[in-house]
Amino acid sequence: MKIINAKLSIIALILLVLITAGCTDTSEEGTPEYINIGLVAPLSGGASDIGNDMKQAAVLAVEEINADGGVYVEEYGVKIPLKLVEGDTQTSPTEGVTAVERLITSENVVVLVGGFSSGVTLANQVPAAGKVPYIITGASSSQVTRRTEIDTSYFFHYCSTTDDYSQPILQFFVDELKPMVAAERDLKLALIYRDDAYGKGVIESSVAYIEDNSMPIELVAKEKYPTDETDFHTYLTKIAEAKPDAVYTVGFVKDTSSVYIQGQRDVGLDTLYMAVECNEDPAFYELLGEWGDGQLLESKFAPYAAEYTELMGPYKEAYLAKWDEMPGMMGADTYDGIYLAASAIERAGSLDRTQVRDAIKQTNEQEMLILLEGGNITFDEYNEISPIIFIEQMFWDEETEELKPVIVLPDSMKEQDFVLPDNYEIGG
Amino acid sequence: MTEITTLLQIFIWGLTAGCIYVLMAVGLNMIFGVMKVVNFAHGEIMMLGAFASFGLYYYTGLNPYFLMLFSMVIIGVFGVMIERFGFRKVLGTGKLNEIFLSLGLIYILQNAAVKLWTDDIKKINSPYSSMTLDLGVLNITYDRIIAIAFTALILICLYLFLIRTDVGRALRATSQNHEAAMLMGVNVNHMYMLSFGIGAALAASAGTVHAILSPFNPYMGTIPGIMAFTVIIIGGLGSIPGAIIAGLMLGLVQNFTIFYFGGAWKEAVAFVLLIIVLVIRPTGIFGEEH
Repeated sequence: MKIINAKLSIIALILLVLITAGCTDTSEEGTPEYINIGLVAPLSGGASDIGNDMKQAAVLAVEEINADGGVYVEEYGVKIPLKLVEGDTQTSPTEGVTAVERLITSENVVVLVGGFSSGVTLANQVPAAGKVPYIITGASSSQVTRRTEIDTSYFFHYCSTTDDYSQPILQFFVDELKPMVAAERDLKLALIYRDDAYGKGVIESSVAYIEDNSMPIELVAKEKYPTDETDFHTYLTKIAEAKPDAVYTVGFVKDTSSVYIQGQRDVGLDTLYMAVECNEDPAFYELLGEWGDGQLLESKFAPYAAEYTELMGPYKEAYLAKWDEMPGMMGADTYDGIYLAASAIERAGSLDRTQVRDAIKQTNEQEMLILLEGGNITFDEYNEISPIIFIEQMFWDEETEELKPVIVLPDSMKEQDFVLPDNYEIGG
Repeated sequence: MTEITTLLQIFIWGLTAGCIYVLMAVGLNMIFGVMKVVNFAHGEIMMLGAFASFGLYYYTGLNPYFLMLFSMVIIGVFGVMIERFGFRKVLGTGKLNEIFLSLGLIYILQNAAVKLWTDDIKKINSPYSSMTLDLGVLNITYDRIIAIAFTALILICLYLFLIRTDVGRALRATSQNHEAAMLMGVNVNHMYMLSFGIGAALAASAGTVHAILSPFNPYMGTIPGIMAFTVIIIGGLGSIPGAIIAGLMLGLVQNFTIFYFGGAWKEAVAFVLLIIVLVIRPTGIFGEEH
């Protein structure tokens, strides 16, 4: 009998520990010890370099906010520090779903921030639908806030959409490149892109933009490659056969840098290459080296170029001091996202997810690292922002042996005029 | 109409891709031929080879092709350790144990690599990266020529080792019949270690060639690992000539498929080829019926 009682006591004790385990973040007076913010990022897997940048930026933002005591929550009448809880998507849709489910159910996060790769995010936003505000800072497919089969009212798109990508790039080709190389004919453009939701999304919106605006662009090649591809020689040989005036590359750092290098070095496709904004990462410049000389990159955060916003200098310094490396673009979106989450919680005066969602929706605050049309952070009917996207041209510095960008578009931010790369050969 | 120059260029790309498959598959077949063990972590051993070369290159700044020889030795020794303290323990206890051991190794090696070198993208700068050989109709980079020549050299050395040396003969004897080899005085356990070491060293050379030609990270071995399995099945399990022919064939078929049908078919065509070969010859091109 004594043994049975002892066993029952142990079971009761274990149950008590399990029941109270979820309450460890709450103090005796009922004020939470921390506000849990979920970071959804590819901390391992193919895009882990970008995930790491997102994490480092998020950690920095949380530390800065906590250095001031945290976020004031009216409901409790005190400032409560933030606690960043990581959800590693492993760059995989299925693992991303598991990570987000854990953040919502086990970690009881108030807001989710992050989400890189459209294919991964379209999957992992499903468990958060209609439940938890999710500030998506790294998935470009406009579907993340426009899909109709789930409740998207809790999702906020704090980065460029695939629709945003096309316009400045294509306009650049027509306004800047065409007069230089194809004044009397249509500009011959080749597309090479990842075979995933992101790549296809950007290409579809680009093709639609060309057609809708009757742009003088002829698409001479359209090559898609598996997401794990490392050998682009045959794709580029096929593109070279089509003799393009420029190649528009829609991929991540590893694939895009390989396209630039293998195209020029091995295939002899000496043309103008344009990369999409997610390549704005220190690794991209490092991998390209001198093969990036004269080539192009779309961006909305350029730590290597001019300090065009007040926050850029302090952020760059703080990031360098803490992590001993330069910040990337996805991290900048995430940094802003954490501040946006903190501000929304404060404005909501509560940790109730619906009230926080409403506060995010009503945001009207000064832009931070990401420049926005109108200068303020606001969300439109699709819960999207309107970022200012610019075009950078990279140049190899022989003295420092570094690749550095300058802004060549838009005119309001331009550091110097666009020039054709030294090795450029006209297509056609 | 596609120009002959373009087709020749695709042939070169296919041949180089095929060389990496060959180095991987020959190593895998050495291990299978001698030990009858299927090592699913072969792609991860390739990845370790790339990182070993990267580490040596980073600290010494010497020519990566020269350093590849050292990384082959390092990873070869590492392969011997895996055999001695891993596969040896489960050998003969059931295929499932061997399979799960190698599957477990995939995660262990990947995570260990991330811990050691982080999962940032790395690259090895070849001193010949800007140099090309002008053949009139097409240009070939020195790195590609070295990759092809190096693969040929390794295969010739391996052939001579297996045919001309006593140890090579002992290895072949073990792969043909363990018991008979033992009765003839061959230390079979040593042959197991040796085959694993050679297999791992070949994977390390494939990893280094891959790392010189493309950026890489700790997940680089997954697809080449899968393709190496496809190659040894197409070529015939345990057959080294089969692995060579099938590896080159796969590289060429994949690249011509990309050219004519698009990249979406690149991986699918490997399995189409596999099915065709298995339907016509279930043991693979050079496989033997037992």
